[in-house]
Amino acid sequence: MLKSPLYLLLISACMVALISATVLFWFLWDSSWPYWQAFGISQLWAPEWYPYESLYGLLPAIIGTAWAIFIAMIIAVPCGLAAAIVSSEILPRFWQGWLRLMVELLAGIPSVVYGLIALWLLLPWLQNSFDLLTGHSLLAAGMILSLMILPTIMLMSYDALRLIPIEQREAGMSLGMDWNQCLLRILLPQAWPSIRSGILLALGRALGETMAVMLVVGSMDRLPQPIYNILEPAQTLTSRIGREMGEAAFGSMHFSALIACGLVLAVMAICLSLLAQHHKPAVTQ
Amino acid sequence: MSQLLHDEQQQGNTQQTSCSAPSSISLKELSLELSGTKILKNVSFDLSSAGINCLVGPSGAGKSSLLRCLTLLYDNWQGKITMDGIAIQSWPKGADALRRHIGLIAQKPSIFPTSIYQNVIFGLSRQERKQDQQKWVEACLRKAALWDEVCNRLFDPASTLSIGQQQRLCIARVIALNPNVLLLDEPTSSLDPRSKQLIEASLYDLAKNIPVLCVTHDLEQAQRLQGQMIFMCDGKLIETAPTNDFFQSPKRLETREFLRWSVCNCDE
Repeated sequence: MLKSPLYLLLISACMVALISATVLFWFLWDSSWPYWQAFGISQLWAPEWYPYESLYGLLPAIIGTAWAIFIAMIIAVPCGLAAAIVSSEILPRFWQGWLRLMVELLAGIPSVVYGLIALWLLLPWLQNSFDLLTGHSLLAAGMILSLMILPTIMLMSYDALRLIPIEQREAGMSLGMDWNQCLLRILLPQAWPSIRSGILLALGRALGETMAVMLVVGSMDRLPQPIYNILEPAQTLTSRIGREMGEAAFGSMHFSALIACGLVLAVMAICLSLLAQHHKPAVTQ
Repeated sequence: MSQLLHDEQQQGNTQQTSCSAPSSISLKELSLELSGTKILKNVSFDLSSAGINCLVGPSGAGKSSLLRCLTLLYDNWQGKITMDGIAIQSWPKGADALRRHIGLIAQKPSIFPTSIYQNVIFGLSRQERKQDQQKWVEACLRKAALWDEVCNRLFDPASTLSIGQQQRLCIARVIALNPNVLLLDEPTSSLDPRSKQLIEASLYDLAKNIPVLCVTHDLEQAQRLQGQMIFMCDGKLIETAPTNDFFQSPKRLETREFLRWSVCNCDE
């Protein structure tokens, strides 16, 4: 087996993944080191980011990222789960196929297109509805993110529900359970591990999304006033990196601070990934 | 349920459960068509208030479909099915309530991915889950001939049980609802002889109180159960007779052919 070409190929592929991850983290750590050395970990909760005066507080972007993700999740999780339940348990098979196809198409649309659609539809709507200056806001970022992660949640939840044998549903019905009880006591608990993975995967995507968010979030490097004001323009870690990297001189403190934003993002993404992997597998019969 | 347990305690015997008041079921001119194919054709028979009834017939005779009609899992049938004189289509509080009175055991055991204990009480509503629940679980498991094998591991996952034990767990789960009628769809078709024997003993015991309708392909099992035989073929009811009469002097040509064919197959 050791000399098999396939074995060597698999080992090489595995090594590529390991080396890539190591290089990535080494780059993030090494390039952001001058920033951490100069300002320390306290910059994580420093509220001001103004590179021209050497202020590199990360808190506004961290708060902005958290708000955008939170808004995206509270919209996308119930909607995605509801869509999965409707298509898996209610719609006839023909329509299930169509709905799935549409959602898969939605998943394949590039993020910049979502951003453009948001510029065209979402921002004017928010501007008019809430009497805002431009419509650029955390709410807009959260809403567009929710649309982008909806397919992941919906498709994974749909697959999880379809994988539950029909006999389980019939066993529940035979015990006199109505549709609601079957759903809440049999289907959702059994599908939950996969639904949870879908939610965490979607969370990961929301965390890393740059282009669409950059177009709608407003890129305002300050904390929302008050902190729960989601109608204000704000900044996220990804949109900051995307917007400012072109302006930062390689090796400068500004560059290091932007890489530090990337490191914070990577650590958050790794935590989510570990959470996604750390779940009990569905009990199978 | 708690009243029942209370009575049992008074009798100093928690090993015995008694099911709800026995019911009689009557089918009249039951017909079913699925995707343009006639599955059941004017089937009529009565199930008496207690005892075992074995529904036999070749594959595709409509036996399982008939059970699904009786529990309203199919609801597009024609004819009339009554339980204690009430048409099941217009059962008070609907099909879900009806299914709590008519227990259905499927061919393949379908346990829920939780503990053995939780599986037994799965169908009980919150109001039914009273303080004597543990004794009730024990009584149901005893009735299903499973208690001795699981009494030390009630809170283990049900998936750790063998298929035969899982089937008996499904029976216990249905018994826990106090059904008035018990329907079984080839409950022992894929089980070992020991599990078959235990389930048959359990059925025999249950049938003292309620009508039990058991679909089976196993004619030896039907003979062992010694109940009323109901023979179906091609969606039609061909013959009903007591076990001995059915095997020794079948009246209809189709029955004789079926028995001859089954005996030949067994010999092979």
